[in-house]
Amino acid sequence: MNISKIANLKFFYVNTKNISFFLSIFTLVLFLVGVYWGLYIAPIDYLQGNSYRIMYVHVPAAWLSLQTYIFMAVTGFIALVWKVKIMEIASIQSAPVGAFFTIIALVTGMIWGKPTWGTYWVWDARLTSELILLFLYIGVIVLYASFSDKRQAVKVTSLLAIIGLINIPIIHYSVEWWNTLHQGPTVTKFDKPSAHISMLTPLLYMFFVFNLYFCTVIIKRIRLGIFLREKNTKWMKEYLDD
Amino acid sequence: MIEFLDMGKHTAFVYIAYIFSVVVLLIGYFFPHYGLKKEIRKKNDKVNKNE
Repeated sequence: MNISKIANLKFFYVNTKNISFFLSIFTLVLFLVGVYWGLYIAPIDYLQGNSYRIMYVHVPAAWLSLQTYIFMAVTGFIALVWKVKIMEIASIQSAPVGAFFTIIALVTGMIWGKPTWGTYWVWDARLTSELILLFLYIGVIVLYASFSDKRQAVKVTSLLAIIGLINIPIIHYSVEWWNTLHQGPTVTKFDKPSAHISMLTPLLYMFFVFNLYFCTVIIKRIRLGIFLREKNTKWMKEYLDD
Repeated sequence: MIEFLDMGKHTAFVYIAYIFSVVVLLIGYFFPHYGLKKEIRKKNDKVNKNE
């Protein structure tokens, strides 16, 4: 199976229906296991108590908020340069997914901040740059909705996504470049991670599950995007008749 | 059971964070799921009306 075949809208729409269904079930089961692991099996933290368990949803959501943005910018770049239709759809459809991840990261971070820092919010570099990321996602969504010509809209939103990429290293390195209330890197110090293996394993597991969730939802969103664009074509009419 | 679910003084914070995450993830999932179904139904209704 070659790339050009997968990039074909009809091929993607027809062949991902069952994949999407099985992926949804698989993700749900693994997510429930992850929640149970994070809440009841992972050991209690000696300093933060049980509040650290929020990390098992906060950290994967924060990572995925960055990862989804990179996905949106890269697919947008491919759509701009090579005019690949499925990339146009993938780029714009990933914006709401990224916005949802960012909202989870921000809100769960606030909930964790209250018992740990004594406040829900501080304007430190990490929190502020993550909030800017949410505004970038919202900007892409609103900009796309404001155009009547959707192919023209994708060109503009792709450009915005590419320019906004500058925010990704700022978010990642903000805790090293500035003095922030937000803690420094814990997991990405691969030579000597600060977290104990019994706490690190469920975190990495949840990261994997959030990635699966992203795959499940992006497939669903791309199918929706394909339908909206191709609903009046001959092949779509034939497919719906079947 | 309540002892098992207890998270000490942080019980409310932990469960609110998890419930919020689950709700947002579910909205993120069902939005395109039912969105596509709705669009297909709309399209079929339009086709049936024309016939």
